[in-house]
Amino acid sequence: MKKVALVLITIFNLGFTNAQDSLITHELNEVLITATRTIRQLSSLPMPAQIISKKDIKSSNSVRLNDILNEQTGLTTVPDFGGGEGIQLQGLDSQYTLILVDGVPLIGRSAGTLDISRISVGNIKQIEIVKGASSSLYGSEALGGVINIITETPKLGLKGELNYRLGTFNVNDISTTINYKKEKFGINTYLNHYSSNGYDLNDNDNLNTVEPFSNYTLNTKITYDFSENTNLLLTGKYFTQNQNYIASTSLKGESEINEWNSHAKLSHTYSKKWSSYFEFYATRYKAKDFLNEDNGSRFSNSFYNQLLMRPEIRATYNLNAANNFIGGIGLSHETLDRTDFTIQPKFNSPYIYLQYDVDLNEKINLILGARFDSHNKYKSQFSPKAAIRYEISNKLAVKTSIGYGFKVPDFRQLYFDFTNATVGYTVLGYNAVNTAIPKLEEQGEIANIVVPISEFENELNPENSVSINIGLDFKASPEIKFSLNTFRNNIDDLIDTRVIANKTNGQNVFSYYNVNRVYTQGLEFNTTWKPSYKLKISGGYQLLFAKDKNAEKAFKNGEVFARENPTSPSFQLKKDDYFGLYNRSRHMANLKLFYDLPQWNLDTNLRGTYRSKYGLIDSNGNSYLDTYDDFVNGYTIIDFAINKTLHNNYQLGFGIDNLFNFTDTQNISNIAGRIIYGKLNIQF
Amino acid sequence: MKSQILKNNSKTINNMNNTIKLFSLLVLLISFGSCTTDDDNTQSSLEVETNTVSNLYAPQQGGIDPNTGQPLPVSGEFIKFDFATGASTTSETDWDIAFRGSTIIVNGGESFGATDEPERTGDAAVYITSGTMASVQLVDTSLFIQDSTEGYAITTGSGNGWYTYNPSNNTIAPTPGKILVFKTRNGLYAKVEILSYYKDAPSEITPEIAANDSRHYTFNYVYQPNMGETSFE
Repeated sequence: MKKVALVLITIFNLGFTNAQDSLITHELNEVLITATRTIRQLSSLPMPAQIISKKDIKSSNSVRLNDILNEQTGLTTVPDFGGGEGIQLQGLDSQYTLILVDGVPLIGRSAGTLDISRISVGNIKQIEIVKGASSSLYGSEALGGVINIITETPKLGLKGELNYRLGTFNVNDISTTINYKKEKFGINTYLNHYSSNGYDLNDNDNLNTVEPFSNYTLNTKITYDFSENTNLLLTGKYFTQNQNYIASTSLKGESEINEWNSHAKLSHTYSKKWSSYFEFYATRYKAKDFLNEDNGSRFSNSFYNQLLMRPEIRATYNLNAANNFIGGIGLSHETLDRTDFTIQPKFNSPYIYLQYDVDLNEKINLILGARFDSHNKYKSQFSPKAAIRYEISNKLAVKTSIGYGFKVPDFRQLYFDFTNATVGYTVLGYNAVNTAIPKLEEQGEIANIVVPISEFENELNPENSVSINIGLDFKASPEIKFSLNTFRNNIDDLIDTRVIANKTNGQNVFSYYNVNRVYTQGLEFNTTWKPSYKLKISGGYQLLFAKDKNAEKAFKNGEVFARENPTSPSFQLKKDDYFGLYNRSRHMANLKLFYDLPQWNLDTNLRGTYRSKYGLIDSNGNSYLDTYDDFVNGYTIIDFAINKTLHNNYQLGFGIDNLFNFTDTQNISNIAGRIIYGKLNIQF
Repeated sequence: MKSQILKNNSKTINNMNNTIKLFSLLVLLISFGSCTTDDDNTQSSLEVETNTVSNLYAPQQGGIDPNTGQPLPVSGEFIKFDFATGASTTSETDWDIAFRGSTIIVNGGESFGATDEPERTGDAAVYITSGTMASVQLVDTSLFIQDSTEGYAITTGSGNGWYTYNPSNNTIAPTPGKILVFKTRNGLYAKVEILSYYKDAPSEITPEIAANDSRHYTFNYVYQPNMGETSFE
């Protein structure tokens, strides 16, 4: 290990000494589509956005989306039950970030979280991240931001690629890409197989932390250019995963996920000014699992089957170079069939949006947009957004954006009717309360009602937020760039659970309600420094305060108490003793060094991410996270990777993720420990 | 007069602790006493009693079956406690509150109808307020409620009454800042802070302790023995 470090230090020293007389190459201006739904230069945008390039993904040897997103400033992955991982962005939970693939959304949030570890990154061209509420373009879920995964499109000629990576825990990742394009027709097919033996962080029980699993991803993209002005894009994706499902020593079974997406888009350019897009998207996400008893008899069965269909028409109108419009109209149709549901719900939501992008003069760019979502089950939503960028000089620009975001309650929050078989508690969706409670009463299961049924007559409101981002970009020199962004998300009508009745078995009945008003605020700082064309150093930091306003008030009013240890007398907590929401770190930082050695066809990198302490539970029983609670200690993870290219077409890679084998077996289920891997890539 | 307060709880065996507490109390009371003798015109006669009860064991049969997880009917004798003597009692009538498992009942109102539940013979009542033992100084008599056929005055279930249940390690912890204010069977007042539900009030509750040593109450209380006096000062 020491030798590796020594070699690294020598390599980097060489890099610095050589930097002076190396040629400095200027990076091409990166473009993205997610922020405005039109192609825009990243550097000219008035809202905070980020691009993760294919090169960065490749040199980090990432295989799943969570691997690479976890290393970005202000993003962290949060483990969910059963091994899934959701993304936290600007301190907002996974359910408030919209995840798109080529501009269309992924579904399958069975418990709110979208598991991003199910997404393979092998065929990704770039990942675009837009922070701040973006419902003005994307509607529901784009409350905290949008992550758009742009996959490869067919390129001219016949090309292929084969990838294999083998690592600790017998993690196998094998994929192949075949690309063909000639004249009007292009096709790109990607097939990936990913499997793992899982891992176990806790030897005391008979369960694994992550059970063995195996999955396949097949992604095909076809392009057909009818003419220079008319293009067709067809995308089909299929994902299937199988995993052992072990609930206890006597209850064993399997879980299975099947997902498909199909996306068709016809683009036509009428003139220099007008172009239009006809789009149809359909996706289905199916999950099912079962548990058997020792004697082979069935203990439980569950299934989840969600469908989304979305036709959309949009048009762009470029009045002139300075004035651009984009507008769209569409319909979201969504159904869900699921165990423990009172009905098979259907959501229909037509929507319309319009955005005006204008350069007021050479220095000022302004974007105004709004979207209207009508809904058959909720209050309709109007989501405006405004963003402005002012270029003070060639080096310095300031930008401000303010927007409205919302997330409609999901099916579970409305129609769930679930009783835990082993413990005996019940969870009811908001709309299920007025039928389910009388039924439970009839069966004699209700001891007393805490919240009367009459409180469930009004509709549950969509969760909504107003987000403000104010930042600046500073290009100190062609080699050094800084960006700073301060943010605040004010969220209202946050949906939470509460006890609505006590059961005769001593357990409770829970349901959902709009209660909390929370905010997340902080600042994000990013910098890149390229001392030479061989070396890139980047660093990022996020400061975060994520708090519940009602909790703040309770602390301020002296209504919250704690004990030093479980048996000492209670004392009153002060305002400053409130730490904030669960699972939020005040500080998160990363530092990455990418170093190329072209003379040896080598590239290497060292990446570190840090997360400060955070709380997962209220350990002292006052229902708030305060400074006297038990916290998960802060930690740092260091990854190292080295890749060598042979004869242009072969690439060998080696790396160690989590170099110092950090684990927290009690609290962090998604950090498995040190992972050593080797990789082979062949291009043909 | 002072010796009256030093009545020792022979039943509560946590002697070391109590001795120290009583000693400090004695010191306190002597200084108090010397004050009150100066203005002897007040009627107030008895001193407020402050005490700790340790390891009051309140077992129960039934509950959640550890093998199946299914709830079973709960039964077993309620362990009765009398503030006037500061000790538990088996008397059918001379008790103020009673414990069984995590359930606490008062000797006032009506029986909820649980198996082995004692008859109510007195006028005891209770309310739960937020604060510390020091900050709860006055009794708000408008808040008292009694047990009834609808349910207990101290509601059961995590977060509803005096405790919070943590399902991850299967432990019961007294909710911080919950002070139980009681009216005794004969109309006197007491305030109680429950400190622990486990034997010898361990500072860390291991899975072994959680499994074997529960239902042992340790609590602080302050008892106002003067009729009609709503202050604990």
